[in-house]
Amino acid sequence: MSELLNTLMQDARVWQGHKHQQTTQPAEPTGYQVLDNQLGGIGWPRGALSECLLDAPGIGELHLLLPLMQRLSHNGKTIFWLNPPHTPYAPALAREGVNLDQVVMIHTEEAGDFLWTLENCLRSPVTGLVMAWPGKLASRDIRRLQLAAEAGSNVCVLFRERRYAEQNSPAALRLELEPGDNQELKINIVKRRGSWPGQRCALAMAHRADLAFREAPRVVQGPWPTSTR
Amino acid sequence: MLWLYLHFPHLLLDHIRRTREETGALVIVEGSGQKVIQACPEARDQGVHGGMRLKTAISLVPELGTVRADQQQEARILEDQARWLYRYAAHIVLVPPDGLMAEIGSLQRLYGGLPAAWQTVEQALDERQLIAWPGLGHTPLAARLIARAGKGECTDDKGHIQRTLGQMPLLAAEFDARTCTRLQRLGLNTLGEVFALPAAELARRLSPETLARVQKIQGTRPDPQAPWQPPHHFRQQADFVQEIEQSQGLLFPLQRILAELEEDLCWRQQETDSLLLVLQHRHEEPSRLRIRTSGPEHRAEAFLNLVRLRFEQHPLRAPVMSLQLSVKRFLGREADTGQDLLGESQDLNEAWHTLMSRLQARLGDQALQQLSPQADHRPERAWTASGVQRNNRPAATMNDQLPRRPLWLLQGPQPLTEAPTAWFAGPERISGGWWDGQRVHRDYYIAQLHNGQLAWVFRDVRDGWFVHGWFG
Repeated sequence: MSELLNTLMQDARVWQGHKHQQTTQPAEPTGYQVLDNQLGGIGWPRGALSECLLDAPGIGELHLLLPLMQRLSHNGKTIFWLNPPHTPYAPALAREGVNLDQVVMIHTEEAGDFLWTLENCLRSPVTGLVMAWPGKLASRDIRRLQLAAEAGSNVCVLFRERRYAEQNSPAALRLELEPGDNQELKINIVKRRGSWPGQRCALAMAHRADLAFREAPRVVQGPWPTSTR
Repeated sequence: MLWLYLHFPHLLLDHIRRTREETGALVIVEGSGQKVIQACPEARDQGVHGGMRLKTAISLVPELGTVRADQQQEARILEDQARWLYRYAAHIVLVPPDGLMAEIGSLQRLYGGLPAAWQTVEQALDERQLIAWPGLGHTPLAARLIARAGKGECTDDKGHIQRTLGQMPLLAAEFDARTCTRLQRLGLNTLGEVFALPAAELARRLSPETLARVQKIQGTRPDPQAPWQPPHHFRQQADFVQEIEQSQGLLFPLQRILAELEEDLCWRQQETDSLLLVLQHRHEEPSRLRIRTSGPEHRAEAFLNLVRLRFEQHPLRAPVMSLQLSVKRFLGREADTGQDLLGESQDLNEAWHTLMSRLQARLGDQALQQLSPQADHRPERAWTASGVQRNNRPAATMNDQLPRRPLWLLQGPQPLTEAPTAWFAGPERISGGWWDGQRVHRDYYIAQLHNGQLAWVFRDVRDGWFVHGWFG
């Protein structure tokens, strides 16, 4: 076989259905063993785009990335939050051991600026992780971002709505996130390089609010006033 | 003492020509706009020369570019020249409108002889595309006369200089007109003949001032010169013959100015993090663009990239007549150590500053923020955002004492519209702010909404329920 084909096979860029192959893509462990196992033992791909698809914030989506944030920020890599929907709360990040000196929040106004900023962040060697909330993105733009991500070697996670799960996307890793009944985070792998998608797992996320998970009182009781405003 | 005098026969012309991309005939006209004072070589080739009426010149060369002479501008340009000359010589005297003088005798040892020093200055002039006539003399006046006559030679031989001066016609010696006429009526034609007169007779028959001047030329009377001190800032201006309408056209002159800035900064061993660019328009207020880098910088290329980004974002409001770049803030240059204490290489530091500067130049200074916790009990005041800044201190480790908080904080509390399905923790009472009028009196709970979101909700003093954060 030609050398070019060999490289393609080894990098698992050409997906072979009959073979389950370990990829040699550079990656960052997610910090969750269960998820790492599902992702072929590697984790977040570096130099490629990842997507997290979720409906509403507050289901543990940031905690999914927290081990990575902690590690990168202490290795002196910068973490960019691009157009986050809410304010990343500094005291909570500090409590979780994220080095806030390495956290930079960027707000862009125009769509052109967003892509430009993301590209620049991705190409820089100082960047460790870019988390971006793009809103609406054309497929062409994602392709452009994927190319920019390949130029650097950092993790880029796009947070998008779950309805995009049906659309195809050039991202290397796509995770669908759903809340579980007991405050765990259910992850459905929509796409990944080098293997079949469709694995599911659930990560316990109760610790994010110090809920030593007891059987929570299901019934609405306690301080709920008679009149709901 | 040995003085070097640089006479710039057409400084304004040189200054304007070197910021022009196109080459075309160009003349400087006097203030009233009637007469040509200086003409560039292209114009001279076509028959335009100094002293000609402007109308005649334009009929000779219809596409003639004209610039009106301006005293203030000339003084400023001369000072620009003094600034670079100061790198080579310490004692500099400005002789407006078109001369610079430097004490060069004490520099011979530094440069390894007079010819070497002479050559250094000539090379510097060449680099800046300036034409100057140099002259050497043992007194300031002698150097000036020789330079203006164009008879400068690289020699410090006293006898030779005296002979050169002696052969100079009286008109070139810059006596005032009346003295000049009287001397000529006495039958004197060269400066040498005036030198030969006895001093007492000269003072009696002509005037003491004439004697003083002659003695100053010869060096028998002191002629103290106040040295020029370089300003503690950098300023350069480019003036355009034709107004520039496209920001692209500004980049060419800027490139030269920035290169000069880089050289200046290198020479000062300093760096800067903010430039001020002032664009003059004909009928409008000047535009002032402040260009900031996120860290100390001295490379022209980096500045140029930032300026280019800025121009892409903000097109010109009106055609630009002139452009001025000034730098007032200087920072000491850090030593280029391979690695600092934390093992962070200089390269990464530089890359960080480059990235931040680029982002700021395009998005504006406010778009980038860094977060930090603040000591306050009220959740909305327990954090602050500040401009980006490179910090290499290790992270504070005593974070366990902070209370449990959600990772997302809403911009402001949102009314809770549904009854939560589960309650987990609470109440945590937060009450404060009586000291600054931003009173907060709330009970916080952690609750789960029906779609699985874990929310940080509170009930305030008026019994309203609000969501204040998400446990992301």
